[in-house]
Formats: sequence, structure tokens, C-alpha cells
Amino acid sequence: MARIFNSMRDGVGFDLILVGAAMVFLLALAGLPLVYNVLMSFQQVDMFTLGDLFRPLAGFSNYVAVVNAPEFWLVTKNTLIFVFASMAGQFVLGFSLALFFAQKFPGAATIRGLFLVSWVMPGLVVGAIWSWILAGDFGVLNTILKSMGIIQAPIFWKSDPNFSIWAVIIANIWLGLAFNMLLLSVGLAAIPRDLYEAAELDGANAFQRFWTITLPMMRSTIGAVLSLGLIGTLQQFDLFPALTEGGPANTSNVAGYWAWQMSFKLYDFAKGATISVMMFVLVLIASIVYVRSTRHEVRG
Amino acid sequence: MQFTKLGLLAGLALGALVAATPAMAQTVVKVWSIDGIDRPGIADTFSKEFNEQNKDIQIEYRAIPFDDLVNETLRAFATGNAPDIVSFDNPDFALFSSRGAMLDITDRVKASDIIGKAQYFEGPLNSVSWDGKLFGVPKYTDTIGVFYNKDMFAKAGIATPPQTWAEFAADAEKLTDAANNVYGATFSAKAGEEGTFQFLPVIQASGGSYKDVNTDGAAEVLDLWKKMIDNGWASKDVLTLGQWDSTGTFNSGNAAMAVSGPWEIDRMVEDAKFDWGVTLLPTITDGGERSSALGGFDWGIMSSTKHPDEAFKVLEYYVSQDNRLFPEFGNLPARGDIELPVTGVEKKDAALKVFQEQLKYAQPRGPHPEWQKISKAIYDAMQAALTGQMSAKDALDQAQATIKGIVG
Repeated sequence: MARIFNSMRDGVGFDLILVGAAMVFLLALAGLPLVYNVLMSFQQVDMFTLGDLFRPLAGFSNYVAVVNAPEFWLVTKNTLIFVFASMAGQFVLGFSLALFFAQKFPGAATIRGLFLVSWVMPGLVVGAIWSWILAGDFGVLNTILKSMGIIQAPIFWKSDPNFSIWAVIIANIWLGLAFNMLLLSVGLAAIPRDLYEAAELDGANAFQRFWTITLPMMRSTIGAVLSLGLIGTLQQFDLFPALTEGGPANTSNVAGYWAWQMSFKLYDFAKGATISVMMFVLVLIASIVYVRSTRHEVRG
Repeated sequence: MQFTKLGLLAGLALGALVAATPAMAQTVVKVWSIDGIDRPGIADTFSKEFNEQNKDIQIEYRAIPFDDLVNETLRAFATGNAPDIVSFDNPDFALFSSRGAMLDITDRVKASDIIGKAQYFEGPLNSVSWDGKLFGVPKYTDTIGVFYNKDMFAKAGIATPPQTWAEFAADAEKLTDAANNVYGATFSAKAGEEGTFQFLPVIQASGGSYKDVNTDGAAEVLDLWKKMIDNGWASKDVLTLGQWDSTGTFNSGNAAMAVSGPWEIDRMVEDAKFDWGVTLLPTITDGGERSSALGGFDWGIMSSTKHPDEAFKVLEYYVSQDNRLFPEFGNLPARGDIELPVTGVEKKDAALKVFQEQLKYAQPRGPHPEWQKISKAIYDAMQAALTGQMSAKDALDQAQATIKGIVG
């Protein structure tokens, strides 16, 4: 008895308690809803069975119906464009800013701090502000571009099918920029200065120093930033209702918003769940790639 | 010490008394609607009055935002916590009535001195009917017509407002003044219920219905709309603007015509610094069939209620106050036997006359249990055609195929 008690305080038992608590938490708050969601995607759901766990089975018919929907391929394409363009924009601009503010100049830390303003703003507010900036007839951006002579006629960012997805991407890049910059700044600060000094003495130029020191040393940070960026981008929701509502003609609709539309606009909860499951599989694949690519570093 | 104990006991006794009183004599009727969130509305005002006048029945009123109302009610119904009375937007009503979630009040209405079937306009009444039975009563109604800027019409030398869609497009061209940021017309072709609200009347006027959308007339008008957008007679933003924002551009003098409804009037009287009027929604051919959209909310008692008699009494009280809808809340009653009082605001009174005439042609969206999906097929087709992704005919054919799969 005493041995069990002891082990619980300091030993294998203690470890098990820690792991167990984490597992219970995960299962209750993430696992069960996930299983419920998967289950729902194989069932027929209507208002009378909404509160049940076991409903009439639908087999794969929800999946077939989703894939056969006229907007399916358009939404898939938009989702890929949205994810890659947002991540690329956030990462490249975030990294540039992080490098810029890593240079020692007066006020660098303060100005970098100010960039966080975009990160603390709620998505709906960001959406509303960008909605005014990107407005077609009286938008700020169009006025600027026009006065600089870049465009002749206004671009209808939100209403032109060629631009609508990019309107959301621009706002999303702005929203996620500060977060990327901050994480990458922390990574940069962790690289020992003497490495650069030694390289400089050996005659390495700025590009060589970046390529052979900064990038390799930042590997795990970059991995984390990109995977967090993927998750953040896929779960981005607020900007869509605030900017384009997925339109016009679904040209700015992405999987996450589509799933919400299915469930809470068309009241087709089963198909909403189906789209979520498809998205989950996508994220799962990305996560596996990420975990595998950083595995040796975790062990090393 | 002694004192606090006494105070605690007294408090407990008082609490028990307060808690016990309603349980003894009163029936509580739960009412949900969207009214009373940002300003006093119909349901919250009438409920408060009812509670003051009645001792045996008390209304427990809850205001729910528009976007959450249907979801919240679905969830509540599924878990057995549904309200006794609920007020839905009319196209959402059939989702509930068709599946037995609303109480059949046909016989109660027949026996009622206050509510009568005959008093209501046909369109609103259809939205609460299903399978020949009555599942609710219309709360108020609205519809759409064309607002036009009389000053701009005079300047462009156009004597009368457009009566057909072809005239509408031709006038829009003449009225457009790009140098001064004036579009000829504005409307809402948004990807959402508002888009369907504005386009379905065109389908209906062409001889179609929500079950039969791929008519030649509808395709023709869709092409006219596209032409207006492509040529800059209407802003590209009509694809994303809701009716309220779209008409805002009319009020500020940036559009010469606007398709919208009577809810705009009060703001327009305030904001518009020009002479304006309202005309009926255009037809497809000269003197052709008229149609318009039917908006507004319905009342219904949910079938899960434990107090149907008391709930019906509450409903009767609401209906008995219908003559106050317009003077106090600016909403049009869904019935022909209430004379609207003259407000003394000349433009407003003239506009209301047109909208009351327009209401005669208003047809409900549905009723159908899966209206939201039908509506999506319609606005998706409209948007695909207007953005040039598909021809108007192909887009409507695709919508027809989707709708056929839904209505069978």
C-alpha cells in the first residue's frame, strides 16, 4: 500500500497520473466531439434526431452528395489557394519583418511590439475594417491605387469573382502577420551571436550567413510556425462573413465556411459534419508530414 | 450573530414565497422572437402589456438574434426545451410546420372571435399553411418595389418610372453618370436569402415558381441584370451588398433607382435630400404578369407545448393589437381589413400606397421544408450568371436540376 502511495507521489504512478489527466482532458474535449462528428457524417440527421446519438445510418451517401455538389471542386480549389497563399504571405512577410527588426536600430523593439495590434484584434473587427478598405466604389485601397495611376477603373475586390478570394487572403495575411513575426523573432534571438561573428571573420557574406546559419538554426521554429499557420488558416472563419460571405458565386468559399453554411444556414448537419471530416483528414496528413519532418530534431 | 440568522431566515422565507407564487396560480408561456434586441419591438412590447393585464397567464419572453433563431429553436426542440410560441421569418416556417413541430390551430382559429382566416392576405397565409392545415398566423408582412430619384429622372428627361425590366435597364443607362459616381440602378443580388428575395419575383412573373425556375423570361432578365453590371449602369457590388446597404447608396444620391422594401422608408425620409417616389416592381413584358416577394414574420405555437389553450390566448392578444403595428413599429399588417393611418409625411404616405398595392402580388418563398436549399440553388444560379461563370440559361437549368432533386 505504502509502495503504491509512494509511487504515486514520486515514480511511475505519478507519471501515469500526469499522462492520464492529460488523456482524459483530450478525450473529453477533443476526442469525443471528433468521434461524434465522424459518426454524424455517416448518419441521416434531421430536427427530430438532432439530440440523439444513434440515428438511421446513411452509409457513404453524405460523402457522395458532398463530392457531387456543383461547388465542390471550386471550394476545394479555393481552400488550397487560400491556405497556401495565406501561409506563404504570412510567412515571407513575417520573416522579413522579423529579420528587419532583428537589426539593432533605435526603437526597433517598440515598433515590433506595435505590430501586435493586428494580432489582438478580433477577426470580425479586422473583417469590417478590411471590408471598408477593399470596398469597390469608395474603398481606400482603390482610391490609393487610382491616385498612383496603377489602375484606371476601381477593382471590386469583394464582388469580382477574380479577386474575391484574394480580398480574404489579403486581410488574413495582415491578421496573421504579427503572430508569424513574433514567433520567428523569438527563434532569431535564440541563435548565438558568436556564430555570426565567426562566419563574418571567415568571410561569409550576408546571404551566406542567412543561408548557412539563420535558416538551419531556425528549422524547428519554422516548422512550428508553418504548422500553426496551416491550422490557423484552415480554421479562419470570421473574415468570411465579414468580407464576402463566400461569394460571389462561391468564388471565395472555402471548406471551413462551407461546412458552417451547410450546418447552420441550410440546416443539413450531416453534410456539414462530412465536410469537417474531410478537412480533418487533410490536416491529419499535414500534421503527419510535419511530425515526421521534425522527428530527428526532437530526438537529437 | 442572532440578527444575521434571523435575517437569513427571513430572506429564505421571502425567497420561498416569491418562488411559490407563480407555481400556484400561473401558467408560464415561453415566447421567442427576434424583437426587442436593439430597440423595442412588437413581441417584447405586447408581452409586457399582456403580463400587466393578466394574472393567470404570464409570458416569459426571450429575444434571440435573427441569425441564431432557427438554430436555437431546432436545438431546443430536439432536446425538449422548445418555447410555447415562436416567431419565424416566413420562409423558415415550413421547416417546422411540415415536420409536425408546430401545433395545428385550424380548429382553434375557426372558433376564435379575434383571429379569422379571411382577414389575411393570401401570400402570408400560404406561408403558415401546410397540407391544407393552418399552423400559425402571419405577424406582419413586407414586399419590394422600385424606389426612384425623381430629380434625376427629370434631369435625364424620363417622364415615367420603368414598367418593364427592359425599360428599367434602358433608364439605368440614361441615368448613369460615372463622372459624378452615379449608377443608374442598385439592387441586391447577394449570395443569400436577400438575393433570392429579389430574384424569385422575376421567376414568378415569367410564369415560373420556386419549383420551376428555368424559364426564358427569367434568363432574359438575368441577362439584362448582367448587362447593367458589365456596362457599369449598376455597381459590381450589388453582388455582395444586402438590401439595406444597397439602398444606402440610393439615399446618398449614388444610384438613381433602388429595388427594396417599405422598411427603407423612414430612413429615406430622413437621409434622402431629393424628391423620390416608389413604383411597382417591373414586369417582363409590357402589361405582363406582376409578382413580388413576400417578406415578414409568422407566429406559431410549437407542438411540444403543454399549455396550448393559454398559448392560443397569448396569440389572440398579439393579433388583437395588429392595428398598432404600423403606427408604433412601422411594420405592415398582413391583413386587408386594417386601414393604415395617414402619417402626414407626403412621400411616406404615397410610398405606402404603392407597397400596399404591391402586396397583392406578393408570393411566399415556398412553403417548403427544405426552403434554404432551394433558395441556395436559386441565388447560386443568379450569381453564376451575373459573374459570367455560366450563361443565364445554363445556370438556371443547373438550379432546376438541383431543385428537382429536392422537391422530387
